[in-house]
Amino acid sequence: MLAPLHRWIWRDAGRRVQKLIRFGETETDGGRDILRAAEVTADPLLRRLYLVHAIDELRHGVLFRQRAASLLPALPQTTKPRFRADWIAPGGHGLDDLQVDKESDAQMLAFLHLSEKAAASRFTVYRNVLTDDPPTCAVFDEILHDETFHMNYTLVQLARIAPQHQRSRLWRARLSRMWKVYLRLAAGLAGVIGGALLTIQYFVILPPFAWLARRAARREPAGWTPIVPERRGSLTRQY
Amino acid sequence: MKILGISAHYHDSAAALIVDGIPVCAVQEERLSRRKNDAAFPLSAIEWCLEHAGLEPEALDAVVFYERPMLKFDRILTCALRAFPRSWRSFPHAMKSSLGEKVWVRGVISSHLGVPSRKILFAGHHQSHAAAAFLTSPTRRAAILTTDGVGEWATLTVGHGERRADGSTAITLLREVRFPHSLGMLYSTFTAFLGFAVNEDEYKVMGLAGYGRPSMVEKVRRLVRRTPDGAFALDLDYFDFHTTAERSYSSRFVELFGPPRHAYEPIDLETAEGRRFADCAASVQRVLEDTLVDMARDLHQETGLPDLCLGGGVALNGLANARMLAESGFERLFVPPAPGDAGCAIGAALYADRIHFGNPDREVPDHPFWGPSVDGAELARLAGEDGHHVDRFDDDPELMELVAADLAAGRVVGWMDGALEMGPRALGHRSILASAASPAMRDRLNRDIKFRDEFRPFAPVVPVEAADRFFELPRGGARLARFMSGVFPVRPEWRTQLGAITHVDGTTRLQALERDMAPRLYALLEAYGRRTGVPVLLNTSFNLSGEPIVNRAVEGYSTFLRCGIDVLVAGQTHVMKRASSAAPREPMAALAAPSFSASAAPSLSASAAPSFSSAKERT
Repeated sequence: MLAPLHRWIWRDAGRRVQKLIRFGETETDGGRDILRAAEVTADPLLRRLYLVHAIDELRHGVLFRQRAASLLPALPQTTKPRFRADWIAPGGHGLDDLQVDKESDAQMLAFLHLSEKAAASRFTVYRNVLTDDPPTCAVFDEILHDETFHMNYTLVQLARIAPQHQRSRLWRARLSRMWKVYLRLAAGLAGVIGGALLTIQYFVILPPFAWLARRAARREPAGWTPIVPERRGSLTRQY
Repeated sequence: MKILGISAHYHDSAAALIVDGIPVCAVQEERLSRRKNDAAFPLSAIEWCLEHAGLEPEALDAVVFYERPMLKFDRILTCALRAFPRSWRSFPHAMKSSLGEKVWVRGVISSHLGVPSRKILFAGHHQSHAAAAFLTSPTRRAAILTTDGVGEWATLTVGHGERRADGSTAITLLREVRFPHSLGMLYSTFTAFLGFAVNEDEYKVMGLAGYGRPSMVEKVRRLVRRTPDGAFALDLDYFDFHTTAERSYSSRFVELFGPPRHAYEPIDLETAEGRRFADCAASVQRVLEDTLVDMARDLHQETGLPDLCLGGGVALNGLANARMLAESGFERLFVPPAPGDAGCAIGAALYADRIHFGNPDREVPDHPFWGPSVDGAELARLAGEDGHHVDRFDDDPELMELVAADLAAGRVVGWMDGALEMGPRALGHRSILASAASPAMRDRLNRDIKFRDEFRPFAPVVPVEAADRFFELPRGGARLARFMSGVFPVRPEWRTQLGAITHVDGTTRLQALERDMAPRLYALLEAYGRRTGVPVLLNTSFNLSGEPIVNRAVEGYSTFLRCGIDVLVAGQTHVMKRASSAAPREPMAALAAPSFSASAAPSLSASAAPSFSSAKERT
C-alpha cells in the first residue's frame, strides 16, 4: 500500500545514498551487538549461531556501504536531500537500546526473531520499489536471503531454549518493541519541543549577552594567557 | 588514601583507582562495554576497579573528576554567544547535551556511587593531563607541555613539575592557549576535511601524510599564525568548529584547499585528487610539527630542564614527538601510554593525591598494564567446545618456542597475556603479532585481519637492547619508544627485510621493549630472534576495525574466529585454528569504509577478501 511513498523516497539519488549509508551503519551496529551476545552466552551452540549471524550483519553493513560508495560518483556535488524520511523508511534492526549483557538467551532470541522479521518485510518493500536499480536490488536480495536463515534459526533455538514459553517470550518481545517505539517517539517529540523552546530563548534572551560576549572577545589578546595561581584553584570547585 | 579518578562525557571515558599513592588498576569503559570510544559515564569501569581492589564505594576517600564541568559549560555558552546568530542551530543541541547530564557530574557520581558530595573533587582538564604525564614518569624535574583539542578553555598549556627531596610534589602550569585557538582542533579539522572521523581517525591523517608532499604548508600557515609571544592563533575565518557542531571548516577553507573528501570516496594516489588529499595531510602534519618544536624549544630555553613530559591527545602524534626530541633541546621526552582523555582518570587521581591532599610522592610503576587479566582456562574451554586444537603448557619456554615457530612459519598470532593495557596502543598484552619481514604480511593483515585502510602502517616491537641495530634512534629515542610514542627511521639496510613494518617514508612507530615490562613477550622475541636472526615482530592492537581492543579471552576468541588470525595464545593456552574455519570462503569487502589505492600500495577496494562465511553456504 505504501509502495508509491517508498518509490518516491528512494527515487532521489542523494537520499538513496544516504539511506544506504545509514542502513550500513545500522547493520554494523546490530552485528556488534549480536557479536556481544555470542560472547556472553553460556550456550556453545548459540555462541556459534550468534557468531555466524553477527558476521552476516557486519557483511550486510559492508554491502550497503559499498553500494553507497559506488553510487557516490554519479551524484552531483550539490545534491542535498531535503527530507531523509528515516522514520518512514527505516533500515534493519539496530539493537542500540538492547542491554545485550543483561538479556537472557530466550529474550535475546525472541527479540532477534522479531527484528529480523520486521527487517525482512521492510527490505522486501525496498527491493520491490528499486526495480530500476538492479545492483541495489541485488544487495537487498542477498540480505533477504540471510534474513530468512536468521528468522528460522532464532525461532528454532527459541523453541529449544524455552520450549514451554516460546509464545509468551515472543509476545513479551513484541510488547517490549512497542514500548521502545513509544519511548523513541516520546523522546523525539520531547527533543523537538525542547529544541524549539531553546531556539526561541536563543533569539529572545541571548542578543544582549551575545553583544557583551563579542565585545569581550575583541579585547582578548591572541597568544598566551598567563595562569594565575588562584585560577589553579581548589579541587572542590567546579568552576 | 583511596582515590578514584574518572574521565567521561567527551570521548574515551575511563576509571582509575589509586591506593596509598600508587595506581592499582585502571580501565577504559570501551574495553568493558565493547563500544569503541565509549564516552558514557564509566560505571562498568568503576565497578571493575572497586571489585578488583576489594573496596566498597564508602571506603573511598575521594572521587576526582578529570575536569571542571561548569567551566566547560562556561566555554560552550560563551562560544555560542560569540557566534550569535550563526550558532542558532548548534545552541539547542549544545544546551541539551550539557544540561542533560554533563554539568551535574557531582550529583551523577554521588547517586551512582553513594558517596557524599564533599568527597567529590574536580581537577582541571589540563591539570589532569599534566599530572598523567609528569607523575607517572621516572623523572624528578621536568618541563610539561599538554596539548589537545580543548578541555575547559585551555587547548595547550606549558609549565613544569618537581618532586622535592621532602617528598612533596609541585605541578605548576604557567600559561595557556585558549579555545578556539587549538592545534588539536586544527588537526581535527583536516581530519574531517579528509573524510575521516574526528577524535578517532587523526592517526590516519598521520599515516596518509607519509604519502604526500608538504606542498601546501604556506596555505596551512595562513590558517595558523604565530603570535609575537611565541604562541599561535588560528584565523577563525577558515573554521566553523567554534560556531557549529555540523562542520569544522568554513567555505573559505574549501576555497583554499579545494573540495573535501567524502568518507566513502576512495583515495587514489594515481589521481591528482588523491595526491591533493595526501599533500594536505603532509602539510598540516609539517605545520603541527614545526609549531610544537618551536614551542618545546622555547620551553626548554625557559626552564633549562633536560626532561619534557607531554600530555593531551596531540601527544599521540609520534612524528611530532620524534621531532621535538631531536630538535627542541630536551634530552628525554616522556609520553604516558594513555596521553589522551582516558589517561586523565589516572592523572586526576594522582593530582588529588599529591597536590590536593599533599601526600608524599611515590614511584609509579612504569608500565601500562592496569586492566583486567586474561584467563587462559576460559579460552581452553571455549576453543575445546568448538573443536579447535588446544594445548595447555606448564612450561613457558616450550610455549614460547612453539609460538616463535608459528610466527617464523608466517602464521599470525593473537597474543593475550596478563593485564589489559590502558591507552590506545597494544603494548604486548593484547596484540596481534606477525613476522615483520615482508610487505605481503602487511597486506595480508590489512586485508584479512584488520580490515583497514591500506595506507595505515604497522608497528614493530623489538627488545630495547637490539633496537639500535634496526632503527635509527636518537638520544632518548628508546624512552620515547617504550610506549610506541615516537616515529623513527628504519635503518636503510633493514628496510627490505622489515618490509611489513616500514612505512612508505622509511619510518616506523616502534616499541622498544624492556624485559621487566612484558617478560613473556620479551622471551618470545628472544625465541623468535634465535630462530630467524631478527628479533623484531610486527605488533598491532588486538581488535578489528571499529572495535575496541579485546579484553577477556572470549573477546579474543570471537575476534580470532572472525578474521585470518591462525593462532591464539592466552596465558598458557595455545589454540590453533581448524583449517576449515581459517580458509577464505567468500570474497567480501573490507569492513573499513574508506578505501585507498596507489601504485605504491595495492588498492583496498571491493576486491579485498577477508574470510567470512556466508549464509548461502550454510543454508
